[in-house]
Amino acid sequence: MRFFRKKQGIGKAGAGWSLFAGVVSLIYFFPVLWIILTAFKTRTDTLSIPPKFIFTPTFDNFIAVFYRSAASSQDAASTGFELYFFNSIFIAGTSVILALIIGTLASYGFSRHPLRGNDTYLFVILTTRMLPPIIAIIPIFLMFRLSGLSGTYIGIILLYTAFNLPFSIWMIKSFFDEISTDVEDAARMDGSRDRGVFFKICLPQVKAGLAATAVFALILTWNEFLFALLLTGTDTRTVPVQMARTLGGEIGVDWGLLAAIVTIFLIPVFAVTYMLQNHLLRGVTFGTVKK
Amino acid sequence: MASGIQIRQMTKRFGDLVAVNAVDLDIDDGEVLCLLGPSGCGKTTTLRMVAGLEDVSEGEICIDGNRVNDISTPERNVAMAFQFYALYPSITVAENLSYPLHAEQISRAEIKARIASVADKLDLTEVLNRYPSQLAEGEKQRVAVGRAIIRKPSCFLFDEPLSRLDIELRQQMRTKVKEVLAGLSKPTVIVTHDQIEALTMADRIAVMRDGKIEQVATPHDIFAAPSNTFVAGFIGTPGMNLIPSVIEGVSERGELKLNIDGQHVVVDVNAGAMNLPVGAKVTLGVRPRFFETVAESSETTLSGKVDIIEPMGAETLFHVLDGTRELRVVMDRTVRFKEGETIHLEFQPKLTHVFDAQGSLVQ
Amino acid sequence: MTTLNSNATEQQSPTFGFWVWLMAPERRGALLITPAIVLLFAMNILPLMWSFGLSFFRYRANRLNPPEFLGWDNMFRNYEKVTSSSAIWDSFQTTAIIVAGSVTLQVIIGFLLALMFAREFPFRKILLSMVLTPMMLSFVAVGVFFKFFYEPSFGLLSQAIRVFTGEPYILLGTKWGSIWGIIIADAWMWSPFVMLLVLAGLVSVPKYLYEAADIDRASWFRRFRTITFPYIKSLLLLAVLFRTIETFKLFDLVYIITEGGPGSATETLSVYVYRQGFQYFRTSDASALGYILLFVVIVLTNLYLYVVNRRSEEL
Repeated sequence: MRFFRKKQGIGKAGAGWSLFAGVVSLIYFFPVLWIILTAFKTRTDTLSIPPKFIFTPTFDNFIAVFYRSAASSQDAASTGFELYFFNSIFIAGTSVILALIIGTLASYGFSRHPLRGNDTYLFVILTTRMLPPIIAIIPIFLMFRLSGLSGTYIGIILLYTAFNLPFSIWMIKSFFDEISTDVEDAARMDGSRDRGVFFKICLPQVKAGLAATAVFALILTWNEFLFALLLTGTDTRTVPVQMARTLGGEIGVDWGLLAAIVTIFLIPVFAVTYMLQNHLLRGVTFGTVKK
Repeated sequence: MASGIQIRQMTKRFGDLVAVNAVDLDIDDGEVLCLLGPSGCGKTTTLRMVAGLEDVSEGEICIDGNRVNDISTPERNVAMAFQFYALYPSITVAENLSYPLHAEQISRAEIKARIASVADKLDLTEVLNRYPSQLAEGEKQRVAVGRAIIRKPSCFLFDEPLSRLDIELRQQMRTKVKEVLAGLSKPTVIVTHDQIEALTMADRIAVMRDGKIEQVATPHDIFAAPSNTFVAGFIGTPGMNLIPSVIEGVSERGELKLNIDGQHVVVDVNAGAMNLPVGAKVTLGVRPRFFETVAESSETTLSGKVDIIEPMGAETLFHVLDGTRELRVVMDRTVRFKEGETIHLEFQPKLTHVFDAQGSLVQ
Repeated sequence: MTTLNSNATEQQSPTFGFWVWLMAPERRGALLITPAIVLLFAMNILPLMWSFGLSFFRYRANRLNPPEFLGWDNMFRNYEKVTSSSAIWDSFQTTAIIVAGSVTLQVIIGFLLALMFAREFPFRKILLSMVLTPMMLSFVAVGVFFKFFYEPSFGLLSQAIRVFTGEPYILLGTKWGSIWGIIIADAWMWSPFVMLLVLAGLVSVPKYLYEAADIDRASWFRRFRTITFPYIKSLLLLAVLFRTIETFKLFDLVYIITEGGPGSATETLSVYVYRQGFQYFRTSDASALGYILLFVVIVLTNLYLYVVNRRSEEL
């Protein structure tokens, strides 16, 4: 009869449960921790057998991310990594802003002025996002080659905008659908025009949702690999592509360097995960599951 | 071995808040006790402590002579109907009804028979195969009651059983539930904020306020002799008039002479009040229906001006202004007054209560 | 009054007939979605139509020869070619194994994690963020983690096994080792996703139902079956469908960890198409193959949305 005591569902649990959950979470988080530790190790510590958990931390790897052969400080040439970081941020940022503007308009349209075949449009839009990128990439590759967009900022930004658009539309529409139309109707009664209703009444109510959508789209774009691999050139290369290239290095993999890149890359992601916890569910399901 | 439920000095604290304060209660087998009080008075917490859904901070609860403070809910073997019914949405009405029986060693035939009997008692036979979401509000409520009475528990607990029904349905269900409760041989506790519900269904009523029990008495006594001004004001609709006044002495005929806001009135009350000293502040309690109007002002009348008139069908409610205070007076619908008219009210002998300065009834 | 005024201002600017036509309320919906549709058409639909066309041509992107139509009588030759090649069926099988293995693991791990987080306790939010992090990472980063783990000489896995066998362990040297390596990495990355959905279900169960079950003395199993499970089953189904669609497309992780190897042992469909399209430049074959994949994904997406709609009707 004892186990009747055990309460299921959301209930309160004490410090004991915290300890248990802490251990489980740490084990789950361990791969991330291990990479972060590796980023602070010297090459010998990284390759040591058995693995070292306690060591003297060094920042050499982080310096090496940006400066080639930091040891001989004389001609510490740039590795071009700040360019890749800039590319990642610039490309992701611009395409997310574009996608957000176009997506907000479209989702407002879908939500408040449904067309005939509204659901079909939405379905097709979601499908473009669900389809394996590998299918789209073949013709896009040809198209970019033909139009000279290959390796340019404008090309990859346009592609990423289109890539973020289905997500933004579904996400923002789910926020628009949630707010009551009473206030809008009342504003219309009072003589507000559609533009006023949209900017003064609708948008402020979905502000938080727009922010969440933007951050999600940023992360998704920030992480994207395949399109960037095939469509960016030396000048427009993003961080994930550079990571993969470092991994496929000819003279053995410099794990410390790679770990440092991953660690830098990881910080914004972890921060966002922590901040966005309440919107995460909606975000990862494209707004199809709210709660 | 003792039977029924005994509650001794039971207290519940949520942090600094004392939700239930040293409650004593005894409920006998077969008795129906209503916990009545405004929302937030601790009545539901009291019930949940009896069920074991809340821990007891202090004091003890005995069911059938056993101290149950440290016994978990399932082992207490109590039956309870929840305010929000708590029907299991994924199973049918029949399965909901038989749900508590699975913990008992009962044959399938017996389970079937019990479902049939409960369904018959509560008019649920038609809906046995439906799911809770397909039921009307009244049906849900009956399933919740049915799930409680299908068992042979140590006691029955009902949390606001009728509060979610509309008025008409509530009247029907009151009768139905009373009928069902009459057949139970175990102690029953009903929590309600509706005094009509309490007055009609209970054998005894416990009125609660701020975590404390103000009075425990039969419906008749609690109406006829409220032990303090809170109970007096809480029970009865429209509420009892509570009129602050000062004692000026006792008349030759043994009546109390009072000063009510400058009006001197002689009132016939119970003998206990005669012992109060002259100059004592008291509160006079008069139910709206226990006034009589007379044509002429006299030393036994209180005068006031009719302010608002609310016809209630068979009766009419008059709001009468006596100086600064408003009195509620209910008269037969044949009595007609005009707004602004001055009327003279006489207190019916022996139906007027006197509460002392602390608000307790003077006997 | 104000309404009249605003009408008046609208009528004051009838100069641009086209503008007025465009701004008419009945065109509002279409107008709002036009930019999105145009962009999606240019960047998604048009390329897809192009590759659909290509799938009926003979074309290699690394040659200068223009696409050459296969002819009406054997226009489906590319499709026949791809479907009759045994490599594609091997790759289909590999994908199916990875999907089944990974999604199963995700459901189990995600479910257990959700049970753990389905209550309030100190530090819950920060711990939850830690567990949710993998899902937010780049496939490339996760690939790096696991490649590092699986490294034969100093990788943690190899070293852990060496403690028992004395031999370094090369996980990625065998077919099944590589498949497991990918399944584990993918499951690690996406179990938090399943957890998130199951958690949403668990949290949505009204507390009074568990109290009623306490009163009714229901067993642990009965509670789970009649209370908990009904609240999470549609979300669980959504999680499985969503993860199936996503894992079906798995590319980056495989590309980073095994590059499809050893040999073609871990060649998922996406990696296979990538190799066909960008290593062997069998552009039209790859297009035909892509269309078969697309069909599968559309069916699965439809199923997913069906469940989404059914669920929102239930709520």
